[in-house]
Amino acid sequence: MAGILDVPKSRVNCSMLSQHINRAVCFVGRVEQVHPSGKSFSVSDGEGKRATVELSDPLEEELSGVVEVVGTVSAKGAILASCYTLLREDKGVAFDLELYNEALKLVQDFPQHYPFQAAASG
Amino acid sequence: RSLIQTKDSSDICDTTFHLMIIFVFQHIRKIDGGNGPARYRVLMSDGRHTMSSFMLSTQLNCMAEDNRLSPNCVCVLRRHVTNILKDGRRVVIILELDVLKHAEEVAGKIGDPTPYTEGQSKGPQTAAPAPEVRAPLQPQNRNEGECEPLNRGFNRDFGKKAPSAMPSTPGGGSKVVPIASLNPYQSKWTVRARIINKSSIRTWSNTRGDGKLFSMEMVDESGEIRVTGFNQEVDKFYSLVEVGKVYYVSKASLKIANKQYTSVKNDYEMTLNGESTIIPCDDGGDVPMVQCEFVTIADLESRDKDAIVDVIGVCKSVDEVTRLTTKANREVSKRTLNLMDMSGKVVTVTLWGEEAEKFDGSGQPIVAIKAAKLSDFGGRSLSASFSSTLMINPDIPEAYKLRGWYDKEGHAVDGQSLTELRGSGGGGNTNWKTLTDVKTEHLGHGEKADYYSCIATIVYLRKENCLYQACPSQDCNKKVVDQQNGMFRCEKCDREFPNFKYRLILSANIADSGDNQWVTCFQESAEAILGQNAAYLGQLKDSNESAFDEVFQNANFNTFVFRNRVKLEMYNDESRIKATVVDVKPVDHKDYIKRLIMNIRKLAAQ
Repeated sequence: MAGILDVPKSRVNCSMLSQHINRAVCFVGRVEQVHPSGKSFSVSDGEGKRATVELSDPLEEELSGVVEVVGTVSAKGAILASCYTLLREDKGVAFDLELYNEALKLVQDFPQHYPFQAAASG
Repeated sequence: RSLIQTKDSSDICDTTFHLMIIFVFQHIRKIDGGNGPARYRVLMSDGRHTMSSFMLSTQLNCMAEDNRLSPNCVCVLRRHVTNILKDGRRVVIILELDVLKHAEEVAGKIGDPTPYTEGQSKGPQTAAPAPEVRAPLQPQNRNEGECEPLNRGFNRDFGKKAPSAMPSTPGGGSKVVPIASLNPYQSKWTVRARIINKSSIRTWSNTRGDGKLFSMEMVDESGEIRVTGFNQEVDKFYSLVEVGKVYYVSKASLKIANKQYTSVKNDYEMTLNGESTIIPCDDGGDVPMVQCEFVTIADLESRDKDAIVDVIGVCKSVDEVTRLTTKANREVSKRTLNLMDMSGKVVTVTLWGEEAEKFDGSGQPIVAIKAAKLSDFGGRSLSASFSSTLMINPDIPEAYKLRGWYDKEGHAVDGQSLTELRGSGGGGNTNWKTLTDVKTEHLGHGEKADYYSCIATIVYLRKENCLYQACPSQDCNKKVVDQQNGMFRCEKCDREFPNFKYRLILSANIADSGDNQWVTCFQESAEAILGQNAAYLGQLKDSNESAFDEVFQNANFNTFVFRNRVKLEMYNDESRIKATVVDVKPVDHKDYIKRLIMNIRKLAAQ
């Protein structure tokens, strides 16, 4: 998965993860709990559902707030992160996860108007 | 059996409710009442006698107009009242009538009835000899043959007083009658009614003088009526009358209601005069509170714009009071709240004035509004005007039912609003359009100007002539003429000033994904777009042209929420759409996204 940043990635919420196993995804959620090992953390999406993000290297910083994770979905439905970006809430407008989730659903409901899915699987 | 002749004759005249008399309907004639609704006069027979002094109450006019009443049909008189005219004549007003047998089912005329006359009555005769009876309302006698025999007069019979079933009035006044039976043709009456709404005192001032008035609405079990008092009557009654209490009201003038100003369901309205009395009634518990015909919030979608409706709902949320200035330069308070009912739908209601200021939405009370006005601004919304009645936690079954539902399950329902998302570009009355919509829907081509909101980007600003020299006196923004001697003359103020103030009038081209449009921005909106005030810009223009240009460059390609006014105007015999910016606001992205999502879902559902 060297070129994960170069391939198209589907934006997903937790309930869409199972349909994207072994595929590159982009997930935005709120950091809930960081594992003591620093090698994984749990996130919640705009619907309040939880998912696990697994890292290849332990975290080197405190993680909290809203985070965007790019990675592949494991067979168990965890996100194997290639990289992540913290969305600082002290700058600009707070990210509205619920609204973001609505947008995700629109993309999923109207693939004819948002043809990213096809590109991602192709 | 002759009902008219026997004991029932007095009942016809003096009992008001629940008396059922079977009549054979004989004849009907229409009497045009000037500018008011038509009245129908009815000749009835009980098989032995006929009587022609029956009038249909106007709410039954439809029965006559639909030809449900045809000669020889058999009817039950379920509710009626008798009016005594000034000269003692009596008229029976039919309030409720059922047709038992249609004319086709009846083999012609029943019996050989003769007109009812005085000689057949019982009891002592107290009335003076009957004056010649003429139908009280008829301007002409078209059906002489039918009515003539009655002119001998049945009325003397009815001159005596039978015990009344209605409560008596204090001070031995005239008989208590239902509101529904009131009409302009009788003057001796008293109604016993509950005041459900009282306006504030309004004043007027015109060339003919000054004055003040107030109005109120009252109900009894038969109906409702609007009451207006002017000048002295304002002083006499305004402070006396309390909303929610029951009063005896008598000797007011009745006239045809002007439906333009009221939604009260009555063809007449009352005006208080010098002889009018309003006396408190202490045992009015049986008089109904407010008569509401509640419409569910979900059903509001199918109602016409400007419809007057009664609604009840839980106050889910309430906004702060805002103050705004009307076109007449009057400052009013305004408050919006969201009501939800068991249909799971939510609607935004706007309260005005004192009601807006006093409203307390804490504890999510049940709010009932009688006669709210439905608007189609921003989907569907309601406005409680001065003729509406606002009730907080009213003591009515609907309110308890709603409270129970809300506390048990309703609080968890995420109500869906009929009113477009509020909060941006003008609250509940935002009329969102794309610039393409504005053109295809020919906004501004009507008689009145149209207002719309759009999200658009500045693509060009005309900096030439965007500043002018205006009169420096406060509130006068008239352009001044440079007298070339250091003085500036304002024609409007008819004065010369040593100075002037700069004001902006900026032409801008704005665009969205579909189209673009030239708009004119005045002072405040131009300052908002340019991000600088007019005085500073005037200074820059005179001193530093490159800095002045830079302001315009920086303002390009910024996106705003515009509220625009469009109107077709004539310029040298050529009509052109003139678009003026009323308000400019930064884009509230969350709000914008919500609206986009809603629009997409709406489009998908079509």
